Amino acid sequence: MANTIIGSSIVIDGEISGDEDLVIQGTVKGKIALKESLFVEASGVVEADIEVQNVDVAGRVTGNIAATDKVELKADCRVVGDVRAPRILIADGASFKGNVDMDVKER
Amino acid sequence: MVATKEFSTVGPDSTVIGPSILISGKLTGDEDLTVRGRVEGELNLSKTLIIETSGVVKANVSVRNAIVSGVVVGNVVATESVELTREGRMVGDIRSPRVIIVDGASFRGRIDMGNAEPRPQAERPATRPVVRPAAVRPATLPARPAPQAAPARVMAPAKPQPPPVARVEARPEPRVEAKPAPPPPPPQPVLVGEAGKKKVLVKKKK
Repeated sequence: MANTIIGSSIVIDGEISGDEDLVIQGTVKGKIALKESLFVEASGVVEADIEVQNVDVAGRVTGNIAATDKVELKADCRVVGDVRAPRILIADGASFKGNVDMDVKER
Repeated sequence: MVATKEFSTVGPDSTVIGPSILISGKLTGDEDLTVRGRVEGELNLSKTLIIETSGVVKANVSVRNAIVSGVVVGNVVATESVELTREGRMVGDIRSPRVIIVDGASFRGRIDMGNAEPRPQAERPATRPVVRPAAVRPATLPARPAPQAAPARVMAPAKPQPPPVARVEARPEPRVEAKPAPPPPPPQPVLVGEAGKKKVLVKKKK
């Protein structure tokens, strides 16, 4: 499976879109739109609005997250922004500030 | 050398832009980047950019090394080298001390290798001055007695005119013998040689 990985020293300022999983270890500013899953790893920093199917956040996200399936905020993540998804999981140790909306079945 | 080393170490921890991904904007980084999808805008790396056959880059690119097997539309500035492989297609200007375009690649644009010297200088002074003192001095010393004394002994048929010519020819020849690795100094053979090496490595990788 051809995964897309944004390495830890990479900084992207702009827009990322695609139909495959994306792993972020670096920094992305702007906008992310995926039809698959987004993984923000512990070293990852995202300052962007996110529209994806699934998100796993272990790093930092500043921006609004809209997922068609699931948002998972792992321990030690830091998220600031509104989260909208049918399923939202917030693990013990996660830091989050913003609104949660689980009312949407379909975007 | 560096490029080939890094090429082979492209692994899970380096950055990969997958085939269905589109990045538009500015991308900067200090690690190798492999593009199988699309990147549009601006791309700055302090390491190697590898654009695979499915990769499309429409951007102004500034990197250390670039290996293009996909499509590039835009200007590329590389501090070390740019290589267009057999599958590579590019429209734009290249500025790099080393530019390698192999058979099968397609390219339209300008190429600026600087003074055409920086790279050869970097390689030649390393080898030449070492070789010159070692080869020219001993070579000319025996070479002088050779044309002077030898004509009398051995080189009877060719002796009358050649002495000055023979002396001139004698210098480059021992130099070549003393330095067996890169035979002629002009830059083209050097590039061909490196292209060959890289080509082999590319095949290995795939």
